[in-house]
Amino acid sequence: METRKLDVRGAKCPIPVVKAKKAIDTMAPGDVLEVTATDPGSMPDFVGWAKTSKLAVLKEQRRDTDETGREVFIHVIERKA
Amino acid sequence: MSEPREAPPAVPSVEVAELLGRLDRGDDLVILDVRNDEEFEDWRLEGRRPGTTVHVPYFDFIDDPEAALARVPRGRELVALCAQGGSSEMVVDMLQEAGMAARNVKGGMVAYGEYLQPVRVPPRPGEQDRFELWQFNRRGKGCLSYVILSGAEAVVVDPSRALDRYLEFVRARGARIARVLDTHIQADHVSGGPALAARVGAPYFVDAGQGFDLKLTVAPLHDGEVIRLDGGAAVQVRLLATPGHTPGSTSCLVGDRHLLTGDTLFVSSVGRPDLGGHVVEWGRALFRTLHERMAALPDDTVVLPAHYSGAAEIGPDGVVAGRLGDLRKSVPEMQLATEDEFVAAVRAAVGKPPDSYAEIIKVNLGAPPPPEEKVTEWELGRNQCAVAARKTKAAAPGAR
Repeated sequence: METRKLDVRGAKCPIPVVKAKKAIDTMAPGDVLEVTATDPGSMPDFVGWAKTSKLAVLKEQRRDTDETGREVFIHVIERKA
Repeated sequence: MSEPREAPPAVPSVEVAELLGRLDRGDDLVILDVRNDEEFEDWRLEGRRPGTTVHVPYFDFIDDPEAALARVPRGRELVALCAQGGSSEMVVDMLQEAGMAARNVKGGMVAYGEYLQPVRVPPRPGEQDRFELWQFNRRGKGCLSYVILSGAEAVVVDPSRALDRYLEFVRARGARIARVLDTHIQADHVSGGPALAARVGAPYFVDAGQGFDLKLTVAPLHDGEVIRLDGGAAVQVRLLATPGHTPGSTSCLVGDRHLLTGDTLFVSSVGRPDLGGHVVEWGRALFRTLHERMAALPDDTVVLPAHYSGAAEIGPDGVVAGRLGDLRKSVPEMQLATEDEFVAAVRAAVGKPPDSYAEIIKVNLGAPPPPEEKVTEWELGRNQCAVAARKTKAAAPGAR
C-alpha cells in the first residue's frame, strides 16, 4: 500500500480533480492519494466526484493551514479495486 | 475519444449579457450546468422565459468522459456554465473533440452575479421630458439600483461595486453624479455607494439608524427633505423615513409617483426585519411604516424595490415594479391586520440569513473591506433580503 501526495495549491477547478484522476489512474487498488488544495470549491467537488467515480473512494476531508499560513483543504482518496 | 485537458486551447465563448438577452427572448438553447449538486441546487442562471438546463457535473466528464458526453443533448445549441468559467471551458473543449458544437459562458456564475442590466422605468404621462429613471438590474443576485437623470445631474441610489457601469452610463448622457444614496445598510452585497461618491466628489448618504455603529462620514439628510436635481425645476427626490428592515431605512419619492422603497416593500414580500437581532422591535417598526407612514401614498404610486426574488418578478417591460394599490392587496405580509400578527408571522417565516451577511454589514458600516476575492465569495448567490422568497408572478401587470 503506497501513499502518494499531490499538491494542487493555487489551482482552480477543474485542475485539482483532473490531476487527482490522472494520479488515481496510475495507482494500484488500495493505494492512497492525499491531495492538498487551496480552492474551497474542492470540498464539495471531491465529494461529488467520489460519489460517482469508478476508481476513487473519498476516505477523509479536512481543513488545515500550510507553512505559509494559507488555508488548505486536504482530500484523502483511496483507489478502488 | 475526448479526454480532459489541463490547459485546453481557447474555446468559443458567450458573454452573460448576450446569453441573458437570448434567454429572455425565448431562444431555444440548452444550458449545460457543470457545477456540483450543491451549487446547482442553491443558485441557477435564469432568463425571463423558462429555458432548458441540463446538469452534468464537470467531474463526471473527468471520471468517465464517454458516459458524461452521452448525457448531453445532441442537435441543440449548447452553452456550458460553471462557477467561474474554468471547468465549463474544459467541458466545451471535450464536447468539441467529440464533434459537438458548444460555447463557454465567460466568467460563469461569478460574471452572472456581477452583471448589471440598465432598464428605463416607463415615465408617467407628462413626465417623459422632465427626467429619466433607470433601474439597474443585477440579474444574478436580484439587486436593483437606480439612476435618476435630470438635465446635467444624476443621483445614484443603492449602487453595486460595478462603479464604472454607473460612471460610463451617466457620462454618456452628458451628466455628472451629484449625489449618491443608499436606502439602508445593505446585508447581501458590499455597497458601491461610498466609493462611487468619493470617485466623483459627490456627497454620500445612508442612515444606519439606532443599533448600528456607522463609521462612515455621511452628508446627513432628514425625513421629508427634498433633493433638487439640476435646479429642481424638473424633478425632486423626497426622502421618507421608512424604518423596519433596518431602523434607518429610507425610501425616495422620485417626482410624484415613483417610490424607491429599498428593502421596505418588495413586489411579492417585505424586507426581513431580523438582520440586526431585534426582530420584534424592528418588525413592529416595519408594520407601522407599511400601514401608517405609507398610508398617505396614493394607490397609483409605482413601487421600485432594491431587491427581488426571481425572474418571474420582472415585468413585461423588463422592469421590476408594482403598483402600491395592488401590492397592498397582494403581498401576503400586507394582509396581516395587527402588529402582533405581523411580527409573529414574520418571525416564523424568515430563514437563517447567510453567514456572510454579518460581515457584509460591517463593511457597509465602514470597516475595511477584505480582498476582492473574499467579497466575490460573500456575494455569491441570490439575495435573501425578503421575509419570504416567493415563486409567484409579480402581482401588478399594467402597473405603470
